[in-house]
Amino acid sequence: MKKYLLKRVFYMALTLFLVATITFFLMKLMPGTPYSNQEKMSPEQIAIMNQQYGLDKPIWMQYLLYMGGMLHGDLGTSFQFSNQPVSYLISSRIGASAQLGIQAMIFGIFFGIIFGSIAAINRNTWVDTSVTVLSIIGKSVPNFVLAVLLQYYIALKLGWFPIADWDGFAYTILPTIALGVGPLAETSRFMRTGMVDVLNSDYIELAKAKGLSKFQIVYHHALRNSLIPLVTLIGPYTVALMTGSMVIENIFSIPGIGEQFVKSILTNDYPTIMGVTMLYSAGLVAVILLTDIIYGIIDPRIRLAGNGD
Amino acid sequence: MKLAKLAKASAVVAISAVFLTACGSKSSNSSADKQVLNWSINAELPTMDPSKATDTVSFNQLNNSMEGLYRLGKNSKILPGIAKKTEVSDDGLTYTFTLRENAKWSNGDKVTAKDFVYSWQRTVDPATGSQYAYLFDGIANANDIMEGKKQPSELGIKADGDYKLVVTLDKQIPYFKLLMGFPVFFPQNESAVKEYGSKYGTASKYMVYNGPFKLSGWTGSNLSWSLVKNSSYWDKKNVKLDTINFKVNKQDSTAYNLYQSGKIDATVLGAEQARNLKGQTGYTNREQASTFYLQLNQTKSEFQNLKIRQAISKAIDRSQFVKQVLAGASTPAKGFVSSGLATYNGTDFTTASYVKSAVNYDTKEAKKLFEEGLKEIGKDSIEFTILSDDTDKGKKSTEFLQSALTEAFGSDKIKVSASNVPFKTRLSRTTEGNFDVVLSGWGADFADPISFLDLMTSDNSQNAGKWKNEEYDKLIEASKTTDANDEAKRWNDLVEAEKILMNDQGIIPVYQASEAWMVKPSVKNIIFNSAGVNYNFKETYISGN
Repeated sequence: MKKYLLKRVFYMALTLFLVATITFFLMKLMPGTPYSNQEKMSPEQIAIMNQQYGLDKPIWMQYLLYMGGMLHGDLGTSFQFSNQPVSYLISSRIGASAQLGIQAMIFGIFFGIIFGSIAAINRNTWVDTSVTVLSIIGKSVPNFVLAVLLQYYIALKLGWFPIADWDGFAYTILPTIALGVGPLAETSRFMRTGMVDVLNSDYIELAKAKGLSKFQIVYHHALRNSLIPLVTLIGPYTVALMTGSMVIENIFSIPGIGEQFVKSILTNDYPTIMGVTMLYSAGLVAVILLTDIIYGIIDPRIRLAGNGD
Repeated sequence: MKLAKLAKASAVVAISAVFLTACGSKSSNSSADKQVLNWSINAELPTMDPSKATDTVSFNQLNNSMEGLYRLGKNSKILPGIAKKTEVSDDGLTYTFTLRENAKWSNGDKVTAKDFVYSWQRTVDPATGSQYAYLFDGIANANDIMEGKKQPSELGIKADGDYKLVVTLDKQIPYFKLLMGFPVFFPQNESAVKEYGSKYGTASKYMVYNGPFKLSGWTGSNLSWSLVKNSSYWDKKNVKLDTINFKVNKQDSTAYNLYQSGKIDATVLGAEQARNLKGQTGYTNREQASTFYLQLNQTKSEFQNLKIRQAISKAIDRSQFVKQVLAGASTPAKGFVSSGLATYNGTDFTTASYVKSAVNYDTKEAKKLFEEGLKEIGKDSIEFTILSDDTDKGKKSTEFLQSALTEAFGSDKIKVSASNVPFKTRLSRTTEGNFDVVLSGWGADFADPISFLDLMTSDNSQNAGKWKNEEYDKLIEASKTTDANDEAKRWNDLVEAEKILMNDQGIIPVYQASEAWMVKPSVKNIIFNSAGVNYNFKETYISGN
């Protein structure tokens, strides 16, 4: 297991290095300068600025300097937020994004499991049908549409929750729902299929024959085994939540990192683009590793395969 | 079924917990006698460093928390700021400012002439990397310092004691006083800059203020902060608001929902909302000093032909463009210089220099001119691409222009394609001259027509279409030299220059940008200027509902 982990960590580092390199050169291919007042500066003035910021150096040299800085934990300073270290921009805004993402994930998975299980237990009844229909709607309505609707009807018209801002738990509810409904729908569909399979298996018949109550059968025998396929979903969920949060943060005026990423690309804010890209990649790679480890824990066959590799 | 019950129960618990939290949060924080303004904006505050600010949010915060030699009032009227007296030499090259002695920084230091000297030297120093340093062009030695040929200490600004400031110019700057209201010319407290080092201007606590308000609660990257009344401001008796709370809402619908719920007093509107809310109480149209216009690349033979340029201009129905593309939140352009920017003897510049034939919609005349033009250049048809942004607005703009031109001249005679690229790409391609026709925009830094007209001189780098007119160049030159001191003559030069630009169709003006706002009628005395810094809240107050 240790050797397997070490190997995985090495590949993670390699992946991140490649991502950094490719992003750096792609980013430098974008036309324009990182100066927000580029529109009004003459080419001579831009040349002076480039010299100040070291952007007149050959790209390979800029690359080496950047990578050198990154190894020492220096992500540079933002152009858009003048003088602001990128590490500060990220650290001051990652909290809200992470909280939103984690809450949405918990919300989606928790209710997804409940709804999916209810549908499976009551399969082919109206309960099952309604859960399925709701899942399809939940999966197909884009989260920003849902966000706008929730904000207008629940927050503005009914006044149950704050309209926007990020100032305590009440403020997180609507964005969490908007962002979490997609994973909820997906989880519930997965859960239903998984549990229907499990409920049809022989050992459930055996449990029934032993005279266990329905709750005991579902809770002790069916649920755990139906959860295994769900682990696969964590990776894709993370990606969906990361990208989805950019829009949701915007709609609910949440001081998160997602929207900052888009803006940094639009403004050629090189250090911020690199910083946030690396953050996202690192997050994703870590989640993938985590998923594999969890898999290994709950399903020994995978752990063995990993060791034999 | 037990599981379902369990789920139901837990859902009830969760939801009620949420409600309890929601109810428990503080209900109101405004007491009746406090003057509080809640203002929504759509972008973050990137910096409070006057040398480094480039965006409207920073400029607005700086203008209200700092003060330069002058403060700009309604219609960019020059009002006293830190300077209480100004003497200008006869040749217009030396300005002597006497500063008021009761102006203080929020750290207790006095605001002295040295603060101006330090600030200006810091901005023109290439090591600072100021993107607005070009506005110092004309102040003695500024250009040489920016290019690294001279030391910042050689800049034409000297402190004569604590309260006398002498500025020397290389050439006359007729709009010099207007510039003094722009944040890049504000004083900076040297000890604060040195003390905070690289953190200077990156959070409200790493900054000192000398204006009507002090910034508070800004961490450098958050979405809300406040301007609170500055008790050490020299003219605090005329400052009426206690607090201005700023909230960043990037989504127009979010901001408008907050406005409807009463949480904010003012917000900018999106195009659709503007269309729906036009005419309602609180709807305010704020014209920007910003013109969008077509530049035709005159290194291409077809665009060297005046008739073809005129034909293209006449084929554009600007009022339809504004309605369809911009949802009515802007106005058709009357010329290159924006309207409402500058007046002389009560006449707006755009009225004085209006050349109707350059911006009117007349398909019949357009067709005639176009066919004559084709004959003159000996071609049966022309083909070109319009370059614009890849935003929704940019795409709609090119679509409109494509169909308007094709409709007017026929698809056998004209073939127009569109190239919609990201903003920065558009800028780069424009500067490189890598375009046929480009939809450009320009916003004035200060309320003087020269802020626009300078762009179109033959050697200006912004003149990407390479339109050339000797007469035009001469008039612009005269306005800066021989006529610089004579307001009437200078005005006349600029009016004539604009007329030449229009008669020769050097550019094709399309629209003047506007922002539609909802502002509660109880908010009184907001000073809005279309050029330079937009807002001055010094004497704003809340009254009634």
